[in-house]
Amino acid sequence: MDVTARTDDGRTIAIGSREYREVGLDLEGNERLGAWQIKEILDLSLQPGKKKEEVFLAEFPPEVKTAEIGVRLKYIVSEGHEHEVHNVLKRVSFSR
Amino acid sequence: MKTLPVVKVFFLFMLMTAAVASAAEIDTIEQLTQAYGDGACGTCHEKIHGEWTKSMHSRSVVHSLGGMRNFIVFGLERDWKKPVDKENLMRCMHCHAPLLEYASESLVRKIGGMIVSASGGDEAAKKELARLNVNCIVCHNTVAVVEKNLRGLPKKGVYYGTSGSPTQAHGTEKTPALSSPSFCGRCHWLYTPPDGDTLYCNTLYGSYQDSYRAGGGPATCQDCHMRKKGAGHSFPGAYNEEMVREGIQMEVRVDGARMRPGKAVPTAVIAIGLINKAGHRIPDG
Repeated sequence: MDVTARTDDGRTIAIGSREYREVGLDLEGNERLGAWQIKEILDLSLQPGKKKEEVFLAEFPPEVKTAEIGVRLKYIVSEGHEHEVHNVLKRVSFSR
Repeated sequence: MKTLPVVKVFFLFMLMTAAVASAAEIDTIEQLTQAYGDGACGTCHEKIHGEWTKSMHSRSVVHSLGGMRNFIVFGLERDWKKPVDKENLMRCMHCHAPLLEYASESLVRKIGGMIVSASGGDEAAKKELARLNVNCIVCHNTVAVVEKNLRGLPKKGVYYGTSGSPTQAHGTEKTPALSSPSFCGRCHWLYTPPDGDTLYCNTLYGSYQDSYRAGGGPATCQDCHMRKKGAGHSFPGAYNEEMVREGIQMEVRVDGARMRPGKAVPTAVIAIGLINKAGHRIPDG
């Protein structure tokens, strides 16, 4: 999941990102990709029936009045094969 | 089920019974395909067979060439210093091509070489390997009995299903196994070969049982990956964008403020909620 902002003067700023996946570990605690090497799972995936909440704080230069926040969630099935799951744009104003 | 002419029935019956009757070891992929292939199934079960050809089950070997090649080259040969033989290759093929259980030692060794070649770009080898998969015979006969010690081995020439409706073409039997998530768990779970050295190829069924079912989730694998939207034997999953989109809901709330007293720094507060609506962790396989 990538979170970006586009300011009213056209700049694009990377705010943050998160990865959700299973990390396979061998007996020594090293991350491994081979099914035969993996002996335990560090589970960073999204759990069924559960809501995962993330909060990002993004600071902007003082002259910025508004920005468009983009949240893009993509699913990487395998190397070279990924698809976009959600792409949400929200405008935010810093003056009330 | 259509009414079939006698000659066609006889021909199909011979094919369908031969499929599980020839337990003698098989030396070529052609022989394996003739004895255990899906060709005859499509004659009557055209729609279902068509769905299956679109599924990942129909490509269970060629889809996973890279991983299996790595197991052969890095796992067996480099690290374990073990032969690329039937005993070791069945660690993958138990799920990716279960019918190789009936293949000779020499054929399985040859297939090991073909996997390495195909992974390196040998299209002819890849085309041959594409004939190996998880086909109708696998799920509806050779692995259809989940509890063999209680229920016995699958019967030769009998095809197991959720209804057990009789047909002229072959024997049928009703089984609860094919409606049960435990049936899918045979492969979509931690695999333990006879020597006990586990393989974490995927762990989806564990997540289904320990998280989804533990949380009161009522759906089965078959509910979401077969019955929903009439997906049938195409078994949509992670490669299906719509399926993934339905499986993960996303909520985004954004608020603006001027933070840090005296500095009034424009700050966006971005709150994101990701809700897993599936019956297992995401991602998994």
